[in-house]
Amino acid sequence: MRNLKILLVALTGVCAIVNGQNKQLLYDFSEIPQSLMVNPGVESSFEWYAGIPLLSGISFQAGSSGITAFDLFANDGLDINDKIRDRALNGMTPRDDLSGTYQVEILSGGYRSKYHPENFYSFGIYNEGDAIGYWFKDLAILAVDGNADMLGRRFDLSHLKTRGELLTVYHFGINKQVNRNLTIGARAKLYNSILNFSSTGNDGFFVTTEGQNNILANTLNADLELRTSGLNEIRDILRDDTADRAAELSSLLTKRAIFSGNFGFGVDLGFTYKLSEQTVLTGSLLDVGFVYHSSDTRVVSLKGNATVEGVEVILPDALLDPGQDFYQNLIDDIENLIPFENVEKSYITFRPTKLNASIRHDFGEPVLRRQDCDCNYKTGSSRDLGYKYTNSAGAHLYVINRPRGPQAALTAFYQRRFGNIMSLKAAYTVDKYSFTNVGLGISIQAGPVNMYAMADNLLAYRNIADSHYASFQLGLNIISFGKK
Amino acid sequence: MVYKTKYIVYGILSSMKNFRKYFAVVILLFGLISSCTEDLDFDQADDIAITPTIEGGLVYVEAPEFLINQVASGTNFYSQEFNFDAFNANFFAERVLDGIITYEVENTTSKSLTIDVELLDEAGNVLDTEAFTVDPAPTAVLVRQITYGPSGRSIDIIKNTSGIRVSATNLGDNMSTSSIEPQKIILRSSAKFRMELVK
Repeated sequence: MRNLKILLVALTGVCAIVNGQNKQLLYDFSEIPQSLMVNPGVESSFEWYAGIPLLSGISFQAGSSGITAFDLFANDGLDINDKIRDRALNGMTPRDDLSGTYQVEILSGGYRSKYHPENFYSFGIYNEGDAIGYWFKDLAILAVDGNADMLGRRFDLSHLKTRGELLTVYHFGINKQVNRNLTIGARAKLYNSILNFSSTGNDGFFVTTEGQNNILANTLNADLELRTSGLNEIRDILRDDTADRAAELSSLLTKRAIFSGNFGFGVDLGFTYKLSEQTVLTGSLLDVGFVYHSSDTRVVSLKGNATVEGVEVILPDALLDPGQDFYQNLIDDIENLIPFENVEKSYITFRPTKLNASIRHDFGEPVLRRQDCDCNYKTGSSRDLGYKYTNSAGAHLYVINRPRGPQAALTAFYQRRFGNIMSLKAAYTVDKYSFTNVGLGISIQAGPVNMYAMADNLLAYRNIADSHYASFQLGLNIISFGKK
Repeated sequence: MVYKTKYIVYGILSSMKNFRKYFAVVILLFGLISSCTEDLDFDQADDIAITPTIEGGLVYVEAPEFLINQVASGTNFYSQEFNFDAFNANFFAERVLDGIITYEVENTTSKSLTIDVELLDEAGNVLDTEAFTVDPAPTAVLVRQITYGPSGRSIDIIKNTSGIRVSATNLGDNMSTSSIEPQKIILRSSAKFRMELVK
């Protein structure tokens, strides 16, 4: 029980310090190489770049659309059980979620084709974790209040909806400037799933009614399934009292991070299109792909329908076999009607696909590019990238495919460039987590060294424990813009 | 390659001056967003109490009047001992706080009857007995609630119950038949218990 409380505190604590999936500040921030990861068709002006291993791209985001740590653990003199009832049980809906994402680039780099300078290739390896759990409202009410005095109240089992994964991604992308107005890009991804859990298609209900014979009847109509991969070996290590758990877990995760046996493929697509010299339309579709899980898998299910009114003895039929075990027969009947299965079975999961789209208007003084400009790539070694301008402003739409359907965010942004050395971006985002999300990003180009840092929902930092959403991204790269 | 390496080193060194300037700007900007947090008390987690109350059907027994008529007056016409491990299962027994067992006895036979319900431990010892005597039909449904826990009988009775014995005796004649449908003696029961899931 103590562990349950610690878990509760940890979960709410985590949701207080992080949140999000959206990289609206990084998106179309073309001074940063990692912008290629959110739009492979971004306008890239690099000759080559090399990310500092493990430091080139670090992002961490998490969020809770329901309650925060402050809602439950504020030192306000209120009874915590009342707060749980008012703010969680009665205050949240099954659409509220707790979600988190992190990404760490292990290696990343890119180079421009010597013979086709309109092509820029980028590649790398990154590690990613992503999880979301929706508020299982009816199951929580059942656990806290029970089913007593709730005749006819259906507890909806479909409220149980969660998924998560940890994977290593190997990727290679091409970014091609088709002409002065259009740049397109695509990235191929090989997914190596370290671990995965998914329980998203649940359905059914539990209800207590007046019995046909007895006073009460409990009915369970269940269509529940949990699919996992990569968790059994971890569980075995954790259960082994004789094992050096830390060392064995580290060894196992390292091994699975390189080669887990659960692979998948995916693509990212993107484009940048100039509607005019100063107005730009962009779009990208990320992680259109799947993972096939066949190693260390487990599929646990509970499917069926049963109504129980207790042990029933109906005479004189029951006298035919007076020695029968009525209670055990009842248990057996339930198990036959709602079989619990735990099998090793392969399965496929689809990646949470993300859609980005933006429109940007550039204005102010043109900023001198670092590389040669106004040279057609067909006749020279450099490309015609047009001008960058001191100011950019626009709007960005982000949509991610989640178990309860698409989840969207809308951003208005303003970007200010200070020569070729520094660029600042401010954004205001509206999504299910926050209506007051103001974010700030900065990219500094100090010679060949590029450093960037971004953070979201800055206003919530006044009381971070009460924040529904927070995220940050940072990184360090070496960039060459070619000969001037 | 040599040129590129020199370019990088030179770039890093030559930009150190600028870097300091811009680093100061970065520090300033992110200093602005340095976070605060109001007072939290995570010790409140120790006060979390999750005590659901669950309920469901317990035992249902029905006997038709023609079966009762097959034994002599004053004779036990039915006695059955059931295995019932739901109460002493660890998950339940370790968490149950208190509760109520509700019995309903419906008699539509022409006889006066007694029904005894006994809760038994694993060795077959009687932990608790509830006796019902009902008048011949027409008679109201007899409803009785037995409380277990601090305000009633010991909750240990429930925790140690491993079986239930139901016995029924005919106190009337063995000739007559009631005109009231369904001409049966019926015992219904349900259990409602409060459990401490988190303590």
